Amino acid sequence: MSLSRRSFLTWAGATASVAALGGLSACAGTGGSAAGQEGDGTIKFWSNHPAKSKDVEQKIIDAWNAANPKTPVQLIDGGANYEELAQKFNAALTGGQLPDVIVASDVNWFNFALNGATAPLDDLWTKAGVKPDTYVDTLREDYKLNGKHFAMPYARSTNLMYLDNAIFEKAGLDPKVGPATWQQFAEWAPSIRKANGGKPVLAIPDGSNYLDWYFQGMIWTFGGHYSRDWTATFTDPKSIEAGKFLQDQVKQGNIAVSNDAVNQFATGGASALLESTGSLTGLTASAKTPFTTAYLPGPKPGAATGGAGLSVPAGISEDRKLNAVKFIDFLTNTQNTITFTQATGYMPVRKDAEADPAEKMYLEQHPNATTAIRQLNENTQPQDAARVFVQGGGKRIGAALDRITIGGEDVATVFAQLQDETQKIIDRDIKPKLSN
Amino acid sequence: MASPLTIAAPSAPEVAAPAIGPSRTPRTNGERGLAGKIVGYLGILLTVAVILVPLYFIVITSLKTQPDIYRDPITWWPNPLAPENYSYVGEHVSFGKYFRNSVIITAVLTVVKVTLGVLSAYALSFLRFPGRTLVFFLVIASLMVPNQITIISNYSLVAQWGWRNTFAGIIVPLAGVAFGTFLMRNHFLSLPKEIIEAARMDGAGFGRMLFRVVLPMSWPTLVAFTLITIVNEWNEYLWPFLMSDTDKVAPLPIGLTFLQNNEGLTNWGPVMAGTVLASIPILIVFLVLQKQMIKGLTAGAVKG
Repeated sequence: MSLSRRSFLTWAGATASVAALGGLSACAGTGGSAAGQEGDGTIKFWSNHPAKSKDVEQKIIDAWNAANPKTPVQLIDGGANYEELAQKFNAALTGGQLPDVIVASDVNWFNFALNGATAPLDDLWTKAGVKPDTYVDTLREDYKLNGKHFAMPYARSTNLMYLDNAIFEKAGLDPKVGPATWQQFAEWAPSIRKANGGKPVLAIPDGSNYLDWYFQGMIWTFGGHYSRDWTATFTDPKSIEAGKFLQDQVKQGNIAVSNDAVNQFATGGASALLESTGSLTGLTASAKTPFTTAYLPGPKPGAATGGAGLSVPAGISEDRKLNAVKFIDFLTNTQNTITFTQATGYMPVRKDAEADPAEKMYLEQHPNATTAIRQLNENTQPQDAARVFVQGGGKRIGAALDRITIGGEDVATVFAQLQDETQKIIDRDIKPKLSN
Repeated sequence: MASPLTIAAPSAPEVAAPAIGPSRTPRTNGERGLAGKIVGYLGILLTVAVILVPLYFIVITSLKTQPDIYRDPITWWPNPLAPENYSYVGEHVSFGKYFRNSVIITAVLTVVKVTLGVLSAYALSFLRFPGRTLVFFLVIASLMVPNQITIISNYSLVAQWGWRNTFAGIIVPLAGVAFGTFLMRNHFLSLPKEIIEAARMDGAGFGRMLFRVVLPMSWPTLVAFTLITIVNEWNEYLWPFLMSDTDKVAPLPIGLTFLQNNEGLTNWGPVMAGTVLASIPILIVFLVLQKQMIKGLTAGAVKG
């Protein structure tokens, strides 16, 4: 039946209840009893199966269950996306029967950690014999708060630019080399548009599909930021300049802000695409024409890391926590991170994955997958706090970007409002809880 | 709520009617009839088009390949035909299990809600007991509390009982029926007092009164209430989503979300195929109950 309308209603409800739960989760988390909840012996893993990874997740879990019959893992459908999973976890915080492991996205892990809903992992690592050094440093350090780590990297991504080979060649450009800067992109745009019958050059997902994440790289290349440390910087002249550039490119028809950008690109409706590395495998299977992945335009760094990690609820017993961490260690070990990333397009999270002979061969055969891993070292930096750490930050920035692109509203006005709202939340909700 | 269907049929003649209304009066009967008919039929066609085109698109999209869905300009007929979307749904989602769960949850909830609704409405309209008005106001008040507020407290209660991921956990908290009580009570009060009194004087007890007197005069309302309940419960998402962990108890709307991709590319063909499959049972129920509804409307209790 009218599923889309139904899900819209659900979203409306979901938003309201998440907002309502925000306050409650704080009490539930910090008030957790000293003993912690005992489970029924199985490790409950709540996952939203990023990039349709349910089958590969189950495969890895089956291997764990065979090796650890005493602490088997049960894969549980945690929701259709990161936000639904967070909502479900929020509900569980109020009422018990907590899971053992949850998928926590870049924008969700921090609030769980800040409110004491998820456990610090450093001591557990020592007890479980996990070697944190074997994780890729930048990915591991993304989850640090007050000197402790609250998640372990799992389905990690960066943004990539996907280029349609045929169109770029027709426009006399080499698809192997993306635009070096956004200014160069603007220069190239008219000829690319001509080569593709006037269709927009670059499709970017809209504000409800993480435009705020993709635009982050762009704002950096203009010298702007969403925030620096705990100060919002939307009204910085350079941030506004980046916003104006985006608005201008949309007006000229070079950039299309789309609610279904991947399909628009896959079916030839745009010559290039900004998307997560997580879309790589799906796109390779379904794109009409061959494409190449490229770095986001510089100057470096011009791309944000993102994706999801795995967290352990604070309210469960020490034994459960320990087993949970052991399982996460297994799920993301060198072999399994290779299996998982090859099935999805995400980046391997362990350092020695790249040295693995099978992975080496895979990367040689799949240069598009290599781009993401190389870009991680060369063209990325951690995200701005205003997006990932401020409650509802991503959604708020995404909505503002929709207003300036699709709505065509004045950039300075919209960004000034964004500045006020963001700074208020930081001062009220976050600063009092930071220890340093 | 998937109301396009429920609204669709009854509203068609209503929308058509005003179109006939303003047609010029001084004409002779025959002329007026013809012109009116044409305008009327145009109105009907327009209304049907407004309702059916989106449904038609859901159906043809479920039979299209992915490039075909995004073809510009849009195509009105799938080319090539892609019935494999339907088998894809079967292969990638345990459709049978979700379907079974949906049927169980909807059936139990409908029976419980209708029974509770009718019984409580009967009590509130025909029985005299102290605090009757107060009870009714409490029921109305519970209609005013938004769902999202009660969900949190319901959740902690049900989770403490260990009812997560069970049918009981999904069904029991949803079984309250303020709406049904309200609807049926108001209908019962509108029934002619004379008939009720006559039945009382003839010595009709509770069962006879309910099944022989009150309900036969209430079929249309009861059927409408049942239909609304079925459609609502069939499409219920938020609560079953929070309560269920696996396909052991999760209903269809949750199962269908697995056809969409979290990050990146969603192939809408299978999603639409799943949507079509999920709405067929409701369509059948509607067609069956619609007949009953009309039968109820025409079978008057007071003759002459």
